[in-house]
Amino acid sequence: MTMFQHSLIVLIAIVVAFALAKKLKVSTELSMFTATIVALIVHVLVPMGEDPRSPLPFAEAVRHVIEGGVNYFDICLIFLTATFFMSLYKETGGAAYLVRLIVKKFHTHRNICLLLLMVVMLIPGALTGSGATTVLTVGGLVGTVLMTMGVSENKRIALIFILAAMSAACPPINLWAMIAAAGSNMPYVGFTIPLGFLSVVGSLFATFYLTANSKMPPLEDALKQLPEPPAGWNGLRVALPFILMVILIAGGRIIPFSFPVFGMPLIFMLSGVLVLIVSPKRVNVFDVAMTTVINLRGLVGIMVVVGMLTQIMALTGARGLLSLMVVTLPITVIFATLWIILPVAEGVLQYAVAPLLGVPLIMLFNQLGFDPIVSLSTWAVMLPLGDCLPPTAVVGRAAVLELDFKGSYYKDFVKTALVPMLFILALCTLVMIFNNQFAALIA
Amino acid sequence: MKDKTNIIKFGFAAIVLCAVGIAGYLFHEQRVYREPVVVSENITEVKKLSDYYDGVKGTINDCNIYIFDSGVPGGTMMLMGSNHPEEPTGVMACNMFIENLKVTQGRIIVVTRVNTSGSTCTRPGEAYPRYFTQDTEWGEKKWRMGDRIGSPLDSWPDPEVYIHYPSGLNLAYMDIRNTNRNWPGKPDGLLTERTCYALMECIRQEGVDMTLDFHEAELEYPVENMIVVHQKAADVGAMVSMMLTSQTFDVPLSVDFSPEALHGLTHREVGDYSDAASYLAEVAEPMLDRIRGITDEELLMSGKDRFVMEAGKHGLLYSPMDENGWPIEKRVARHVETARKIMEVNGTVHPDQVITFEGIPSYQEILDNGCGPYYHDPSTAPADRVFYD
Repeated sequence: MTMFQHSLIVLIAIVVAFALAKKLKVSTELSMFTATIVALIVHVLVPMGEDPRSPLPFAEAVRHVIEGGVNYFDICLIFLTATFFMSLYKETGGAAYLVRLIVKKFHTHRNICLLLLMVVMLIPGALTGSGATTVLTVGGLVGTVLMTMGVSENKRIALIFILAAMSAACPPINLWAMIAAAGSNMPYVGFTIPLGFLSVVGSLFATFYLTANSKMPPLEDALKQLPEPPAGWNGLRVALPFILMVILIAGGRIIPFSFPVFGMPLIFMLSGVLVLIVSPKRVNVFDVAMTTVINLRGLVGIMVVVGMLTQIMALTGARGLLSLMVVTLPITVIFATLWIILPVAEGVLQYAVAPLLGVPLIMLFNQLGFDPIVSLSTWAVMLPLGDCLPPTAVVGRAAVLELDFKGSYYKDFVKTALVPMLFILALCTLVMIFNNQFAALIA
Repeated sequence: MKDKTNIIKFGFAAIVLCAVGIAGYLFHEQRVYREPVVVSENITEVKKLSDYYDGVKGTINDCNIYIFDSGVPGGTMMLMGSNHPEEPTGVMACNMFIENLKVTQGRIIVVTRVNTSGSTCTRPGEAYPRYFTQDTEWGEKKWRMGDRIGSPLDSWPDPEVYIHYPSGLNLAYMDIRNTNRNWPGKPDGLLTERTCYALMECIRQEGVDMTLDFHEAELEYPVENMIVVHQKAADVGAMVSMMLTSQTFDVPLSVDFSPEALHGLTHREVGDYSDAASYLAEVAEPMLDRIRGITDEELLMSGKDRFVMEAGKHGLLYSPMDENGWPIEKRVARHVETARKIMEVNGTVHPDQVITFEGIPSYQEILDNGCGPYYHDPSTAPADRVFYD
């Protein structure tokens, strides 16, 4: 047996085990965990090819599973702390006050209101590189404003998701581009214009396409739909936690050499503490923390298991086989299929897709004489669109939680998001094909 | 029914706890494992990095600085390994120098573990082995296999984006723990920034004339089988490349000049912030390729991989790759020979910087004998000659 056959058998075992577990109504994260363990067992049992191999003791196999599980530890912490911050904001009534304020100020200027909401959505992800953070921090607020504007539930969640995805793609922080650039020893420089162009155009299209028939209702009607905040909230109190968050994030950019490194989890926790200090209403912090953890259990579980799966795929050669299959495709096939390969791979692998496919693709494009910065930018904008796809669907699931979406995930949410998603994918594909011309244009 | 569910939950929790316990033990074992090195009897002094800048005192990165001083005036070269701890030839080449070197003119300074922190854990998601070993006449010599960057146990959290000091260049957040993105360092920065600053202080205070930083790269990466040189070293670098390519190596050693816009790397910043001319040597390591097959110690040491070979057939590699792979002795031999040739050529270009030495095997000797014969048994060596990295 060759190593190709070995890795192919492992890959097939992963797919079969996952499909079987799902058929037996096992949750996505447990199905993926089952697939991981099956892959490991198949790897040990099936001959590993023609070359000598090192033994894999039981304890080391266990170590690989656990080590993979901490691969996305930072991202899980960000999810938990960002949600905790926003939950405190909601429970104390600050969120309700803020939404009413926005509606009161802008109810007569629909387009300005929409543009402002788009900017509000783009900022958290642009600063952190995480679409889930966008959804968890401002997704609920913006969703409520959209509701008062008469935007349907399906279109609301579709727009929140796409703006969250574009916020993650938006410069200055695009984690896929950064990770792939780092993996190719390429400085993360020159990405602002291509990333900014693609993500902002995509956001504008999605915003105005999905809110096309909405209109601002009379102020009284809109306010009636919104919950009353507790007495004592005012503009300053409501703004202070966000001001602190912006200062702590922006400080690291503006005066990076003298500003302490807090890290996003601590920034969210400090902002949360400030919510408690400025809030006129007392809440049970322990209850809020428990609810946050319970709500995010599935999301965090997925991230842990994806880390395990990617580690076992690397161990068994299944990851290499997948990468090899992609980069050995003819370039015309790559141009024609990346728009589907990348989002699907993102749905499976999350940020791991950047080193897995991004790095070999950069090498390939570089070798073929294409502009690696523009090319990588197009992939880095296409990738987050896969965050609503299974098995992980991290941002999509966060949006469902945050907006308390009751409709069908695929028939209502994903189907509604399809047109703007296809527009963004087509735009990115065009820029990828004409990458050198685009690079010359922005040079 | 509920009882049954609880039993299942308890059962799973117990299994998970056992798994975490086993993995935790292995993580700890790697974290505290110290690599013995039997220093050559001709060594002059072993200092600590904190002797040059006390900002790293008491940290895991307070590594050993091995100094070989002939007492005869000449040049000073610093050799650096494990700037990226997932590239094992650096530490192996450095150990080969430390265990066998006798300098007869000038000085040689060796830093085996530039990023000790990164060598105490492997890279999550990459399925690396925890150790790699070399067979010797007296048994196995064992090193820690590390991550590309420092351990989060020593430096965490990372900033959302890493802004390089002092250039202001934006880099991926995790590169704040990458020693080869933090030069020339920052005295009041995070651990990796302080480590690079301390190493820069070492270079400045010791009056180092040349530095050579040993690396390995994936075959898909264009900077492959190459020396990258600061503009100060352009003449020497070009001659070294020509001589080794025409006289010694089967696969050419090309030369490239350090890009002025790419900051944080030794080949740029050491040259810019000290009097030393900086070199960085790369050699092919198939285990770093994302398209590799099964990941294990065998792949790391033999450098044989059928998937990477297949990529080569599609013209996707910057290095030749066949069924013989890139065995560790060939990779170490290229680094050792590159260091020797840089010192030799530099001495002819700069007669005041001559360095001569003995005891280090030639390229062909390492290929013929493997690396094993050049490492010594710490259990039988005099205690005052055994140091730990």
